[in-house]
Parts: sequence; C-alpha cells; structure tokens
Amino acid sequence: MILNEEQAMLKETVAQFFAEQAPVACLRQLGAGSPSVAHDPHLWAEMVALGLTGITVPEEFEGLNFGWLAVGAIAQEAGRRLVASPFLSSVVFAQNLLLNCGSRRQIETYLPRLTSGDQTGSVALDEGRFFNPHTTELSVVDGSLTGAKTRVLNGQSSDLLLCVARRDSGALGVALIPRDLAGVEVEAKRAMDLHGYANVSFNGINEAHIEWLEGDSVDEGITKAIDQATIVLAAEMIGSAREVLERTVEYLGEREQFDVKLGSFQALQHRCAQMFCELELAESAVSAALTGLDQNAANIGLLCSAAKALANDCFTLISSEAVQLHGGMGVTEEMDIGLFLKRSRVCNQLLGSSSYHRDRFARLNEF
Amino acid sequence: MYNDALMQFRAETVAWLEANCPQSQRQPIVRDQQIWGGRRRVFPSEEAQQWFEACRDKGYTAPEWPSEYGGGGLSSAQAKVLQQEMAKMRCRPPLYCQGLWMLGPALLVYGNEAQKREHLSAICRGEIRWAQGYSEPSAGSDLANLKTKAEDCGDHFLVNGTKIWTTKADEADWIFCLVRTSDATPKQAGISFLLIDMETEGVSTSPIPLISGESEFCQTFFDNVKVPKANLVGELNGGWAVAKELLKHERKMMSAFEGMLEKPAMELLELAQHAVGVDDSGGLADAELRSDIARHLMRETAMAQLGERIYRQGKAKQSDPRLPLLMKYLGTCEAQTKDELILRALGDEGLSMDDPTVSLGLRKMVKQWAFNKSLTIAGGTSEVQLNIIAKRALGMPSAEGKS
Repeated sequence: MILNEEQAMLKETVAQFFAEQAPVACLRQLGAGSPSVAHDPHLWAEMVALGLTGITVPEEFEGLNFGWLAVGAIAQEAGRRLVASPFLSSVVFAQNLLLNCGSRRQIETYLPRLTSGDQTGSVALDEGRFFNPHTTELSVVDGSLTGAKTRVLNGQSSDLLLCVARRDSGALGVALIPRDLAGVEVEAKRAMDLHGYANVSFNGINEAHIEWLEGDSVDEGITKAIDQATIVLAAEMIGSAREVLERTVEYLGEREQFDVKLGSFQALQHRCAQMFCELELAESAVSAALTGLDQNAANIGLLCSAAKALANDCFTLISSEAVQLHGGMGVTEEMDIGLFLKRSRVCNQLLGSSSYHRDRFARLNEF
Repeated sequence: MYNDALMQFRAETVAWLEANCPQSQRQPIVRDQQIWGGRRRVFPSEEAQQWFEACRDKGYTAPEWPSEYGGGGLSSAQAKVLQQEMAKMRCRPPLYCQGLWMLGPALLVYGNEAQKREHLSAICRGEIRWAQGYSEPSAGSDLANLKTKAEDCGDHFLVNGTKIWTTKADEADWIFCLVRTSDATPKQAGISFLLIDMETEGVSTSPIPLISGESEFCQTFFDNVKVPKANLVGELNGGWAVAKELLKHERKMMSAFEGMLEKPAMELLELAQHAVGVDDSGGLADAELRSDIARHLMRETAMAQLGERIYRQGKAKQSDPRLPLLMKYLGTCEAQTKDELILRALGDEGLSMDDPTVSLGLRKMVKQWAFNKSLTIAGGTSEVQLNIIAKRALGMPSAEGKS
C-alpha cells in the first residue's frame, strides 16, 4: 500500500512501539491470566497516548482522520505481534458503528469517551454458532430485550455495548447498553488464540434503559461498520501471515539436515514461493478494499468480501505450512508458530468465513 | 501543471479514438480477426485495416517507442491513459506481433543504430512479422544448453541446428535466435543473438500438432544458412544479456496473455447460468461451482489489483522489485482455473472439440482449455518461476554446487 508521509511515519512509530512494548510474549502473559481481562490496560494506555483511538474519526468530531490505509497499516503491525487490544473492537468497530448510525448529539455524547480512551466499546452482533448478520433475531418484545449475543470482541472489558437488535417495528437498530446495567450478563471467554471475547445475555432489559442510535440510515450504517471492521481485520491477518511466512523462510535458511540448509531444497522453496504469491495477492485485495473505504466506493461490499475471503485462505495456508515446515518445533509451545495457527482459525470465524464471503460476493454479483 | 497536460492529452486521445476507431473495431477480438502484419499480411475486413492504418500512422501500434523509429513517443503516463481509454471504448489492439512485445524492447536497449532503423519501424508498421527461436529439443527450461551453431565464416555466420516452439514461425518473415558461437563455459558465455531472414536458403519450418487440435507452435530447421555479420545484436557471445532483457518482456506478455486472447463468446458467469441454471433465490444451481466461480472472480480481480499496485508503486518511486516476479505464475494459473470452470459448466457440450452439433463458440472454449495448458509451460514454466521467486524474492539458499 502506498502511504503518504504522515501515514508512513505513524506506521513506523507503531511498528517500533509494538516490537518493543507488545511482543508475542505479552499475549502469552495475558493468556495465563483470568479470562475476564481481555487486554493489558498498561499497553492500551500507551496506545491511547500514541493517538490511535482517534485515528478513524473525522475532523468535525475532533478526530485525526488518518485515512483507512493508515488504519490498515496499524492493524498489519498489530497482526505481526498478535497484539490483543481494543483497537479492532472499539476504535474501528464500535466507534464507526456509532459514527455511522448515531445522531449528532449521540456522537458528541459518546464518542469522546471512546476516543479519550477512558472507556472502550464493543459491538454485540453475532448470534449462535456462525457469523451471519442477516439472521439477527434478538428483539425487543413487549418493551423488553431478552436474548443472547455471542463472540462480542473484548466484551468482558468494554464499558459500552452497541447491541444490534430488532426494534418493535422489526427494523434493525443499535442499542447502547452499559455493560454493568442490571440484567446484562457477561460470560468472559478466552479463545485458543488467547484473545478475549464474551457471550452476553440480556435478561428482560426494560426498553426505558436502552438508548437506540437515531441516525438517518441505521441499516446501511450497520452494514458499513461491519465492512469497515472486516477489512481492518483482514489487514491484521495479512500482517500475521507475513510475519509467520518470514519466520518460516528464516528458519529454513538456518536449519541444517543432510548437511545442507533445509531452504535449499526445491520442494520447500516452491511451497514458500507459492505462499508468497498468495500473500501478495491477498494483500492487493486488502489494499484495494482499504482504498475503497477511503474513497467511499460504491462496491465496498464486494471489495470487503473478496479481501476477507482471500485473507482467510492465505493465512490458513501459510500458518498450516509454517507449522509443517518448522517440523517438530512447529508443534511445541516453545515456538510462537502454533499461536499464529490458532489465531488464523479464530480470525476465520470472526466477521465471516470464506464460505460466508464467497456466498455474499456471489449474491452481490447476482449469481 | 503536469496533471493539466495529462488531462488535455486524455481529452485529445478520446477525441482521436472516437474519430478513428470504427464501431466494428470496438468489441472483444476473436483470434481469426487479429492483425499480425508481415510480408503476407491480410486484413479480416476493410474497417480492421482502416483502424490498423490509423494507429500505424499515429505511432500507436507501439505507443511508448520513440517516434523516430515509428513509435508514438508517449511517456509511460500517457501510454497508460491511451491504454485506459482504449479499454473503456473496447478498442481492439491494432497489431499483434512478437516484434512489438519482445524483440523491439530488446533492440531499443541492445541494438545498434542501423539495426534500430532497419527493424523497429518495420515492426511498428506491421511490415515484418517475427518469430522467436530460443528453445531447442534438448534446451527447454535449461535454455543455456542450446546447440544450434553459428560458425564464423569471415563475412557471415553459417548456422546449423533446429529451434522448437517457434510460435507461428510458418507465417513469420524473420526470426530472432539464440545461437552457440563458442564452447566457452559457463554455457551462457558462448551464446549470441542473431536476426535471421526466414527467406534465406536453408531455413525450413513445420507446424507441430497440439492437443487443442491447433498448431500454434512450429519447429524450424537451419541447414547451412548464411547470415550476414551485421545481424548480430549486442556483443559476440553476449547474447545471454539480450535474451534476459527479452524474457522480461515475454513474461510480461504471458501474464497479460489472457487479456489479449479472444474472450469466449459468453463470459464464464453467463455461461454457467445458462448451462446449470439458477435456483429460486437467483443463485447458481450448482453450489460448489458457484463458490468456485466466486473464488476465481475474487482472485482474478486481485490479480488486476496487484498489477495496479505495482503501477502505483512505480509512480510513487516505491517499487517493490519482488512483486513483478509473481505476475506470470499467478496470472497463468488463474487463466487455467477459469478454463477448468468453463469446462465444468459446459457439461455435455464440453466433451468434444469437433462435434458439429455443438456451437462453434462453445467448441472454441474447449479448444482454448486445451491450448491454455501451454500458458504455464511457455515463457518460463511455473516451476522455473517459483525457483526465481524463492531465490530473488525470498532469498532462499542455493543448493550445494548449483548456481
């Protein structure tokens, strides 16, 4: 991706920051603790201080508006270190859902709490086993909200839940619900990739305690925010895939068997070369989708689904091959390779598997 | 200022294309309507000839070559504009020629002034059609192993040997060849680059029947052929450098090949919808084919996005030299994937290449499926491409004792 000078500087700063402050060892430390903690508050405070929380917000709301290419570049750097933080869940997903669907008053009320880093938000969208926003069932019935949401990213440590649910009319809406509201039950989970998510149930919440986002085009705003988060997640996955491919090529260049470097074997060279091709192909689709966000492209849904499907497939391939090519070391906890493998499979399920996105791509193309 | 000039150029280009490209030349081209030029040139129609001549006179058969050699003298930004506008209007390429894609760019770098004057303009003007003489029966991927010999006989070389996979050599006028001029080692150091007029006594060519039922490729034989010394390009025994320059262009051409070949009468999607039908919700009735087509279309788009990325990087002077190495491998693989999808969608109608009860258009698709198996072999096999990527893009170690 071609970054402007400001964006390139930010990327450099963030890359260095993650390398020093958030190596993969930090994730392991987090993973050893209670699942009720989804991110390291100290690391998050540093990210806030770097200005990362205002990065997608337009100037009119006093944001930095760095552009989506820059957001993607940061996500890639986070992907390289498998950083667990509310960057995707709060900065990208929750903030943009609020920006897309909220009234001016609501944005001015809630956004500063999120951009200041005092609070974080999470979007409660998924229901059931698979991601499919078209089948949202959680509804307000007789003035009260009862039901459950799954895979709420960083939900256990978020202050504000932005819950996608059906209103009395049957139309989709976004309900602002404080996590500590009576009747909200949060079950903290840690996935095998050591990142945190929550299953949240709403037990007869009186609609009087719910504030619905009141912007002009809530339906489109939801779709757009999902696309925004999906594309940034795809960028993060590309960063992870690039890191694990580089580690693998480096390992093959050092490890000797039969008195030669493993990397001199053509069978292994070809597999690495094919992985590199897949990586750059997927990165091209992700870059195009980020550019599409910057330019408000009309076909953003297509760009998004292609980016996520290609990112899923390429990270799946590269992380599997990385384990195999590291031999016995690949299946040990001593190496980080297994964490990349697990992260890939978790990311596949987040915001849409390849099957979901190929189906959506076909539907949008009318076939 | 610069952008203003480019915008002005775009406006002029659109106007010129509108005025000069006949309607019949604004649709996807089919193979038998391509204009290849040459001494025995034929034009499929009067309007095709008009369009070719308009481009020839404007230098647009070779837009980026210097105008003194018959090219258009455009900057690469201008050439991109021309290409974009031609694509928008669906203008057909005015001329197809190995001379344009391969020999010309190499001559611009390695040819002497006399050679540039003699050959470049004849290429742009479609007067001479070229063939390529590189591979030999015992020198395929291991090209440096070539044996065709050019013996120094004072005022001329005496050439003996044979070249294989000489594309359309039976219709070509001249052939550019790699020949052995010394037994020096390494083998690359004894190779020279020669231009040979195929009307010279002792040159003969025969077509090779292919699995597609066509014979695009030929074998060319040289039996005591006298070639003037002036036809040597670059240094004596320095042909390998010229060949490498030219191969760069061949790979670029092969990755763009799919775009230049005739498009099937029906696009993949339309064909699949027609052949396998749609379900109640409008989706393709064959769910697996639907998913595979979606995957292919995503990858095909991503290929274009990768090309765009390389172009933008170049413009911003931030080129990643690794990326162009991937284009041939990825592009040819994806072209074959598309052919396989077409064959799957055709069902019963994809069982034969010559069943007269099946429409010509569909039969051509089956032939194309078979023909396109050559895409991953010609111009550097996929395996050679992967070797290059591993070595140059990933810096992986060489095997012991091998270069």
